[in-house]
Amino acid sequence: MHVDNRGPQAGRPVVIAKGVTKTYGRTRALAGVDLEVRAGEVLGLVGHNGAGKSTLMRVLAGLEGCDEGAVLVHGKEVSGEAGPRAADFRAVRMAYQETSLCPDLTIAENIWVSSRHCLPRVRWRRAAGDAVRRRLDEMFPGHGVSPRDRVEDLSIAQRQMVEITRASLVDRLDLLILDEPTESLGPDAARSLYDYVRRLTADGTAVLLISHRIREVLSVADRVAVLRDGAVTAERASAGLGEQDVLTLMGAHVAVPSDKERAAVSAGGPADGAVVAELRGATAPGLRDVSLRVGAGEVVGLAGLAGQGQQEVLERLWRPVRRDTKVRGTRAYVPGDRQRSGVLPLWSVAENLIVTAMRGLARQGLRRPAQERAAVGDWVERLAIRGGADAGITELSGGNQQKVIVARAFASTAELVLLDDPFRGVDVHTKTDLYGLIRQEAAQGRSVVWYSSENAEMAHCDRVYVFRAGRVVAELVGEEISEERIIAVSFAESDGEQSNE
Amino acid sequence: MSELLASALPSRARMRRTAPAVVSAVALIAMIGVCASLQSDVLTVGGLTLVLSATVPLVIAAQAQMALMSVGDIDLGIGNFVGLVTVVAATRLVSSPLVGVLMLLGLVAAYAVLGALIHLRRVPSLIATLGASFVWLGLGLFLLPTPGGSTPEWLASFGSWAPAGFPAPLLPILVVAAVVYLLTSRSALGVRMRGLGSNPVALQRAGLRPLTSRVIAYTAAGALGVVSGLLLASQTGGGDVSSASSYTLMTVAAVILGGGSFFGGSAVPWGVAIGGVTLGLVSVVLSLLDVQSNMQSAVQGVIVLAVLAGRVVVGKVLR
Repeated sequence: MHVDNRGPQAGRPVVIAKGVTKTYGRTRALAGVDLEVRAGEVLGLVGHNGAGKSTLMRVLAGLEGCDEGAVLVHGKEVSGEAGPRAADFRAVRMAYQETSLCPDLTIAENIWVSSRHCLPRVRWRRAAGDAVRRRLDEMFPGHGVSPRDRVEDLSIAQRQMVEITRASLVDRLDLLILDEPTESLGPDAARSLYDYVRRLTADGTAVLLISHRIREVLSVADRVAVLRDGAVTAERASAGLGEQDVLTLMGAHVAVPSDKERAAVSAGGPADGAVVAELRGATAPGLRDVSLRVGAGEVVGLAGLAGQGQQEVLERLWRPVRRDTKVRGTRAYVPGDRQRSGVLPLWSVAENLIVTAMRGLARQGLRRPAQERAAVGDWVERLAIRGGADAGITELSGGNQQKVIVARAFASTAELVLLDDPFRGVDVHTKTDLYGLIRQEAAQGRSVVWYSSENAEMAHCDRVYVFRAGRVVAELVGEEISEERIIAVSFAESDGEQSNE
Repeated sequence: MSELLASALPSRARMRRTAPAVVSAVALIAMIGVCASLQSDVLTVGGLTLVLSATVPLVIAAQAQMALMSVGDIDLGIGNFVGLVTVVAATRLVSSPLVGVLMLLGLVAAYAVLGALIHLRRVPSLIATLGASFVWLGLGLFLLPTPGGSTPEWLASFGSWAPAGFPAPLLPILVVAAVVYLLTSRSALGVRMRGLGSNPVALQRAGLRPLTSRVIAYTAAGALGVVSGLLLASQTGGGDVSSASSYTLMTVAAVILGGGSFFGGSAVPWGVAIGGVTLGLVSVVLSLLDVQSNMQSAVQGVIVLAVLAGRVVVGKVLR
């Protein structure tokens, strides 16, 4: 068959990254990464949100060039001026977490898209179907998938299986990159996947495994590399390494909560003051038995790795239609993606700012321009929005646009303000201004629920719920809130929680 | 036993995908039934030929529309493009066949260039093809300011060809649907086209250029538009640039009736053939029913909405 793998000899470096840097706009995603993946080994890569994992993978897979430094495949430097060429990376394959399958195509057709070099020109459909069926049988016995099924008709776990199989189907496989491969797989499928990974490495293929399930990484990987702030800060053999050691390497402050602290958790919280919003055992797609309370004048943080249920909580609070959600009073929502769901690009700063508050200010449905202007002027001055009230919103810098969007929410009379990671990619000065604003408004009795992928921001909250796999795994209050603690609890797996259906 | 039955029946997902075409087919059969009850000659070969012939250019233009919709674009210029082809067929193709053929090939090439421009300049296809529709209209008026001209001998004789055994219009409908099926559903080129409409990111990660996919789709649409125009000219016996302007939106409706999607990714040539014939038959039924001509468009719209509603209901049931 054409699409069976042959690997190189074991032990030699397959892909080497040397001082790789990558900058997007103002954010420095990679700040000089040195990493070596050797034939016949499983290298685990761990790191928290924004550590640069996904950027590094894109560079290693040849999807993006790097700014400085070099990527060497089999000792040959491949990132030239013009960016990487696909031919050099043909033996490097990656299975994406979000999958890179076309939902409207059948599985066999998807295999053609990604492995067409290894398929015959005629009757490729049958060849692709046979190859994918055999590989699926080998990797995931009992997968229940036929090559003629369309991807859109598969379950999420099946899609993940097909994605991993797709990445592995190539005539020569030197490096297989697996990005959170078990995120949506059941425990059985995860086990058979790792069995296959071991067989692959025995044949000399290198595997790069990215996962936030540290225990899983330790059990499969030969070496573990820790990525932190865009650089590899530690590289250890995984033998003899414990989960706590890895967390410490990642910068986590691992503390076993003492009895005193435990008492503080249960006693703290919104005992003082009225409860503005409450979730009681909310369960939904992406949420499992989530209970939380928001008191008046409280800033509540939602932390953890991205996509663990925080946005679903905000959605619940924004539209409290279910019985398990109780919200008193009015709400305002600040979206994270300002280009898509934030600004009204044809309007001025003033119109963008006042659009939510407009109805509150109006009398009998008629707008009152004088009051509106006064309110806008007040906010523009308070947040030092450059360009003034009459500038077009798109003339402003990203940071100033974000100020307008946040001001829009706070200018309304809403009692509860929901922030959906609004400060991503915003410069430090603006952030400091907005943090100050949030504290001021909370002091005046407003409640804020704040999801952020940046753990350092959570220090501005009164209380922080840390999410993992749709559950609240920790509630941190006051002094307990620190970046290190959040990292520690968002990774640590308690026993019996490893399966993730 | 029930397991055996389950494996014999098509899967639920497959049923859901073919449901729109089945709904259109039911509507089609119902309409032929209505026609036959009013005018029993409809069920003869000659009757079917008469009833179906008007739908042929529409069905083929709808296949062109489907080619573009499979990559996620919509063509608002196809009506005037078909009209322009009839004009070329009624003028240059008669006076100097070589120039005429070259002009038709040039029109196909123009569609390919249009697709490349849409991709490279990131213009929404709606706007670019709407702009192009005025170009087609202008060119057509320049070549033939008033409707007229005459079609070449061979084209006219194909238009009046009447074999004994089966209704002649079925032949182009089925042949074109089969060719489009081979292109979009069975070939690697079709995978590229549908892949673009389905998930362009995946296509790029696999090293396939989205530009190529789009140009293939536009070239196919241009070629099908030329075929549609030639068949229309063979029926009308002359050229008129505005004779097919209603096709633009009718073809979109035909694709949707046949099970296509506005978001791209799917190719349903057989469904489009059924949807196109259904749409074309509506006006035949209405004139047989003696509906006033000034009411016909409104009633036609209501029937299309009813069939679409049926599609939505069936889709919900099968989910």
